[in-house]
Amino acid sequence: MNSINIKVAAIDQVTPLIKHFTLVKEDGGSLPAFSGGSHVVVAINIAGRVHRNPYSLMGSPLATDAYHISVRRQEQSRGGSVFMHDEVKVGTALKITYPLNLFSLAKLGRKHILIAGGIGITPFMSQIADLERMHADYELHYAFRSPEHGAFAAELAQTCGDKLHCYTDSQGARLNFNELLSTQPLGTHVYVCGPGAMVTALLESARDLGWPESHIHSEQFLAPPIGEPFTIQLARSNKEILVPAEMSMLEAIEGAGVEAEYLCRGGVCGRCELDVLDSDGKLMHHDHYLSDEEKASGKKIMPCVSRAQCTRLLLDL
Amino acid sequence: MEHGYSIKSKPQYTPLHWHEKATGHLLLAHGAGGQALINLLQQSLPRQQVSVLYLQQTAADAEYAAKMKAVLDADCHVFTAEASLQNALKLMLPFMYMGTRLYVAGAEGFIWSMTALLKPFGIAPADIMQQQTGTMARSVYCVHCKATTHHVTTNITPCAGCGSMLFVRDHFSRNMGAYMGLMVDAESPGELPEIEEIYR
Repeated sequence: MNSINIKVAAIDQVTPLIKHFTLVKEDGGSLPAFSGGSHVVVAINIAGRVHRNPYSLMGSPLATDAYHISVRRQEQSRGGSVFMHDEVKVGTALKITYPLNLFSLAKLGRKHILIAGGIGITPFMSQIADLERMHADYELHYAFRSPEHGAFAAELAQTCGDKLHCYTDSQGARLNFNELLSTQPLGTHVYVCGPGAMVTALLESARDLGWPESHIHSEQFLAPPIGEPFTIQLARSNKEILVPAEMSMLEAIEGAGVEAEYLCRGGVCGRCELDVLDSDGKLMHHDHYLSDEEKASGKKIMPCVSRAQCTRLLLDL
Repeated sequence: MEHGYSIKSKPQYTPLHWHEKATGHLLLAHGAGGQALINLLQQSLPRQQVSVLYLQQTAADAEYAAKMKAVLDADCHVFTAEASLQNALKLMLPFMYMGTRLYVAGAEGFIWSMTALLKPFGIAPADIMQQQTGTMARSVYCVHCKATTHHVTTNITPCAGCGSMLFVRDHFSRNMGAYMGLMVDAESPGELPEIEEIYR
């Protein structure tokens, strides 16, 4: 995979849990242009083991002098975000992938409803720059726990004006999806990024109200879950690999020196899909890519986030 | 048409059936498409608001219109010119909410002129349920002079714009609502394959 060498130019503590990193090219040049909603994958080397985490780009897609990402500290996870918070300093060199967009705006939409929960605000930061430039009709509905957790709320209020609607949970303000979605003009698109329960509730509400699938957009990157260790066999590479509890199948495959395809590493894009040739146990699908039928068939698996409970899992790789 | 041959760009139509989840239903049809709407109304009458815009072109169509009026009363709007139906539709759309599902039944030309009208209102072809009824005649877009020839029933047709003899391909443009037409005797002028009526 082609990667870009960057260094950290600035770090801002935005909320008690969120840090904003400004990234510039190591050689000082300009970075590739991107479109609103894009993300990059940051390679984080923790004691020789490389974690690759996807983060949304927040700046204006037209500003290519620097990229902006925000990282929420996740204590109960594998350490990538904690490393970003505690070890990465101004001047730290990192490698990132080229930007990729799995959450792009439907440019032909008549109106755009953006719904963010907590750190889910990040992809909308760059989308809003695009929407403002297009003079598009949009609304941003942003829900967070308490006032001090509303990252970028002041900045957004300036950019979006009365298009911004904030919902502070600690003050009892709740966003009612059915109410919001039942009176939107024909031709509206809805976009949601936030915690799993919020995304699920929004999708359900939109579908129940008869919104066509092509008007409903969501993004939710998953961290590879921690599970029981298991063993996989690679048919073409003729290798047997142990997947430890805190490592994803994809990371274990890469660790064994086998090249595997990937893009988002968060169960969204579908690039790392592998064919399952044989297995003697249960596949534990965690991705948002495969259909329910594909998951049930047991013939495909996304090694970036999914796991298995078995002694034999033969993959076509 | 050749057995076993199909290309991706050729639209697939489907018999109309109600979207189970919706907050309203807007039905558009002309000519024999009236029968498709009557079949739909006979399946069941949904709880949500149902509106019909129907273009009546022949005496037989008047019967379809009467049957639909009997079920829907004032929610069935009948027109005798496509332009008036289009104007009425353009006036209605800005007041409709997401959750209103769209259905179109009629000849291919009608289906795609309605689909093109809906596009600037943010409604994509995939959002519209389409049933082809009546004629299989095609609209053909000339790649040489860019004119569109309507109601083509033969495999080869003279172009309404430049007069070239066009071979009618299956390659379909959703934007133009027409099949691609290529000059069939460009290499050897005047040498034409047999002309057959295949799109009736």
